[in-house]
Amino acid sequence: MGAKVSGTTVWQLRSAVRPDHPHTEIIEEFFMKGFRTHLILAALVCTASLTARAQEFRVFNRSVQVHGSLSQGFAYSNDNNFLTMKTSDGSPAFTDGALNLSTSITDKFHVAAQAYDRKVGQLDDFRPQLDFAYGDYRFVSWFGVRAGQVKTPLGLYNDTQDADFLHTWALLPQGVYPLDLRSTMLSHTGVDIYGRIPLKKAGKLAYAAYAGERSFDNRGGYYIFSSDLGMPITSASGRVTGWDLRWTTPLKGLTLGSSWIDMTQNRDGSYSQAMFPPHTAYKATSAPERTTVGYGDFQRGKWDFAGEYRAEDYWLSILTPSFGNSVFLWNGSNESWFLAGSVHAMKRLSLGVYHSNFHVDVPADPANKATNHIYDEVATARLDLNRFWTVKAEEHFMDGYGDLYSAHGFYERSNPNGFKPRTDMLMLRTSFFF
Amino acid sequence: MKHTHFLLMAAVGMLVVPLSLRAADMKVIANPSVSASAVSADDLKDVFLENKDSLAGSHVDPVLEKGGPAHEAFLKVLGKSDAALQTYYRSLVFSGKGSMPKALASDAEVAAWVAKTKGAVGYVSADASAPGTKVLEVK
Repeated sequence: MGAKVSGTTVWQLRSAVRPDHPHTEIIEEFFMKGFRTHLILAALVCTASLTARAQEFRVFNRSVQVHGSLSQGFAYSNDNNFLTMKTSDGSPAFTDGALNLSTSITDKFHVAAQAYDRKVGQLDDFRPQLDFAYGDYRFVSWFGVRAGQVKTPLGLYNDTQDADFLHTWALLPQGVYPLDLRSTMLSHTGVDIYGRIPLKKAGKLAYAAYAGERSFDNRGGYYIFSSDLGMPITSASGRVTGWDLRWTTPLKGLTLGSSWIDMTQNRDGSYSQAMFPPHTAYKATSAPERTTVGYGDFQRGKWDFAGEYRAEDYWLSILTPSFGNSVFLWNGSNESWFLAGSVHAMKRLSLGVYHSNFHVDVPADPANKATNHIYDEVATARLDLNRFWTVKAEEHFMDGYGDLYSAHGFYERSNPNGFKPRTDMLMLRTSFFF
Repeated sequence: MKHTHFLLMAAVGMLVVPLSLRAADMKVIANPSVSASAVSADDLKDVFLENKDSLAGSHVDPVLEKGGPAHEAFLKVLGKSDAALQTYYRSLVFSGKGSMPKALASDAEVAAWVAKTKGAVGYVSADASAPGTKVLEVK
């Protein structure tokens, strides 16, 4: 049993905080209204892909590059609703886009900024966020400094996870890159040092180390599932430190790497239901909240094989001052990994498969085997219609739905009648980028 | 036995011919402000993959061709397909770690750009005229 509060187990608490959800009709109405919007966005993706190109303009005699992307998805699942969308009816509530500006102030000093916006089910709701904005001074190839809001280098794809057109997949392996929880480790505001060191015949080693304030998204999955559990968050902040090492080995096409990230979390909120009277304040701190990552990628000719393993050691202490400072200690530790293979089968067609594995170390309800894991087997076809426009079709075969205290796509609010142990889902996604 | 020899020669030929094509099909050119007169294939790759921004102490900016024989030959030096190269540059752009290098349509455009732009390094077909530039020997 992972966590106890005054002798009460967490899964017992969960039953207490989960009455039949009263918002189902509102959610359905919302999705019906949203359908037309998403169709229009899909049409926009198609139109834009035929007309736009990367733009460049000059400011103070410096060339400024403008790039952007827009993607529209559609998901259809058999039973469970995924990622807060009503996927069991077929949902187009999956839109995102980015706008990116960059320029070189001097030969050594580069600045870049990106805004990102999305609506995935009830996640985010088209409220633009600053994705990154920083200055980058590269003294030499083996030493540079970045300062500002910087994408966190972690594993193979953390800093490119939103740019689906860079990947074969419509959805990256959700065990390792959960789309709903993207903000928790996506970027930090602080300072990075980085560089690339030649190792003669042993290849090259790229490194990055960073420290700063971590990011939270108050419309992301972390806030949503906390709210569903009767513990809405009013504010959250924390620090982050970490490093990433990426070795380009002497074996052509083989890259190996390792990352480590250590975070703190100071969270305030108030209970909305369950074991304490409504509006009872709580404070939560994490100690530790640490993730260790190992990864590899092997590209040869038309083939690409990739894999990544993550172990997250995550304990959260929840304090309720008005009730004698009793400490609720929650163990959210988990492991995740994926193995993927893809082939550039024809000039415009890529095919791929992956297995994604998410395992909860101490599930809230140990008797329910579907809560301690999410296994996802995936087959994808990607078609590049032109240099700026991709279409993907992807089938997911998921087993388990994970622990409700760690989200990863399955939310009570969008599954008010409970979960089925298996989920099959078709995902279609089209992206335009310039 | 003859059949085996033929297959071996064919295999060797397949390995050798593309290597010779690389040198024969394109040359690397630089603006005269670039002090280097030669560059290793490894450094050249690092410059075009934006891992390195100087050669022999001079700042350099890569310029690409959008297609054509010189571009195809240069992709072999980089060890990437055109699609993989574009994906690589886009990953730099959308993670904020780099920018898209200038890409021009022809040998003539690349040669003209390199000639007039301080620090520019590009490639053109081996027999292309590139006045106002210097040829970098690839070691």
